[in-house]
Amino acid sequence: MMIELKISTLLWIIAVLLFMLLLFLLYIIIQHNKEGRFNRRRDAYVEAYTGDWYDFLIRDTDLSASVIPHNKAQVTAVERIFLSYLKNLQHPEIEKKIQDFANVYLKDFYIEDLKSRLWSIRMNALYRIADFKINSLMDNLESFEKRNISKEEYFQLFKIYSVLQPSKFLEKLDEVQITYSESEYRRLFILLSDNIFTQVFDNFYHYDKNIQFAIIDTAAVKRNMLFISKLKELLADDSLEIKIRALKGLYEIGIVDEIETYIPFVSSEVWEVRLMVAKIFRYAPLSYTYTYLEQLIQDENWWVRSQAAKTIIEDRHGVEMLQQFIVSADDQFAVELAQETIMRRQGGK
Amino acid sequence: MEARMISANVMQQKEVQKYFTVMCESVIRSHLTMTAIFLTLSEGYKTEELAKEMSVFLQAKLRKTDLLFQLDNNAGWGIIFLQSGEVEARAFLNRIFDILKKEYPQLTINASITEIRNNNITFDALITANEQILSKISNEAWVIEEITDYQQPPTELVKVSIIEENDIFRHVLEVAINQLEVPHFSLEVSSYEDGYSFWQSGNYQSAHTHLIIVNDILPRKNGFELLHSLRMMPNGNKFIIYMMSERNSEAVALNAYESGVDEFIIKPFNLRLIEAKIKRTFARLWP
Repeated sequence: MMIELKISTLLWIIAVLLFMLLLFLLYIIIQHNKEGRFNRRRDAYVEAYTGDWYDFLIRDTDLSASVIPHNKAQVTAVERIFLSYLKNLQHPEIEKKIQDFANVYLKDFYIEDLKSRLWSIRMNALYRIADFKINSLMDNLESFEKRNISKEEYFQLFKIYSVLQPSKFLEKLDEVQITYSESEYRRLFILLSDNIFTQVFDNFYHYDKNIQFAIIDTAAVKRNMLFISKLKELLADDSLEIKIRALKGLYEIGIVDEIETYIPFVSSEVWEVRLMVAKIFRYAPLSYTYTYLEQLIQDENWWVRSQAAKTIIEDRHGVEMLQQFIVSADDQFAVELAQETIMRRQGGK
Repeated sequence: MEARMISANVMQQKEVQKYFTVMCESVIRSHLTMTAIFLTLSEGYKTEELAKEMSVFLQAKLRKTDLLFQLDNNAGWGIIFLQSGEVEARAFLNRIFDILKKEYPQLTINASITEIRNNNITFDALITANEQILSKISNEAWVIEEITDYQQPPTELVKVSIIEENDIFRHVLEVAINQLEVPHFSLEVSSYEDGYSFWQSGNYQSAHTHLIIVNDILPRKNGFELLHSLRMMPNGNKFIIYMMSERNSEAVALNAYESGVDEFIIKPFNLRLIEAKIKRTFARLWP
């Protein structure tokens, strides 16, 4: 079927489309200029005041009033400068100066940003509040939280509380409605001071599995001896996953004060558990652990056997012990593995 | 005296003169201090037999890196300690003085010490200066004098290159290092935003000691690539390489050290820490 169109109608359609295109082009040009102007103002600020900020933050001189930002471009420039210092340098005095300045001169900009209809602007404000530790905005954040905010914004609020108001963070963690992933919780916990993290660990059984796993993994990353006894307590847990993660955490911390705790796991029915024990024994003298490692090198699982051989050879007398084992053992698989491990070690030297 | 069994094969003053300039240049190039000792017997004891005995004794007390020579006209001995400073030379003199006082109670000796850490000295000037100082104390016994005119090392130009993408932090490092006071060294600081622009600059093509402070991750030619290229150069040891990284990982640090960095610094760090590391690095160059 043919569509019949008059020439004049067609011309009208073309004219309307051209007009729309023109409008669109105009919009792009205006936006481009606006962005260019914004960038120029931001860069001009950075160019003009980088030296002043260095003198103030590093050399302790007074700050001139001219550095106070008056518009969004200048705020962005100040953010760039502050983040460059915070991400690269670790000076409590610099952090304090940035916090004090942000509490006075940037606060109002972020209050406005939190009211924005755009998610990205609100998120950006939340990030900066956490970065600069703007603690004068706690009331504003309280009311912000009551709004219908996204999961990501709520997570960012969590982060702010963990840094600026740990007691509130603990409260919120108890009543959290949204499910976050293990890795998200790990990102939160790693920022906590040892004291607050210990309080989280004390409430281990109040939380759901994702939080529990994140607690164990964070304790391992923090490598603090404080957490050894807590992780050991978890070895009695019914959950296999918790047991294995706790063993992995203990291995990561790398301190074995006694081996009795680990001996029952040598005969565990789960090979992952036996593997972790073979790894942990690396941190105990071979004279104490050899009997168990000899059992593990003859394990039915290749990973366990191989790890037990690696653990033995790490010791000063490891090669000697493995050679003795080769002579006396009946298990041909284990003997071959021991020979292979010795060869690999000697070849690596 | 146990040393009597060893035959003395002592160089003469004019023979040492030939090597002295080379030794002074080596002091500058290797940043190793050299010290000259001159010993004279008091008048009345300068017999040929005693001189021979003393030569044997001194030769027996020296290390293989020390050079003993006889001064013209039997005026005494000179010893050049390569790689030793005034403190070690003085300890050596005190040690031999104690032995000689016991074995030759009638003998008296004086000595002078000249620590050399620059190349502004000729052998003749060294001899003259020590002759003068020893003649002043010729009436005394067991005295050790010191000439301090040649102790100051020359100020050496060292290049410092900062390779960091963040322009604000690059400026922070540049200003901080420019303000750093490092004894005996003057720092020529330049900065680059990535490994490629550093490589293109050709700034690394000179014989100067070169401190490179580089980030591990960079937009073009990253820190590890640069490290590899610099260490592969024939004179790669002139580079002192500090690598900065945001990655707080033992594996990355291990890899960096195995690839040849001298320091691996995890960001964020304290600016005072990097300043202290730089000062310590240069202090080690002139022990």
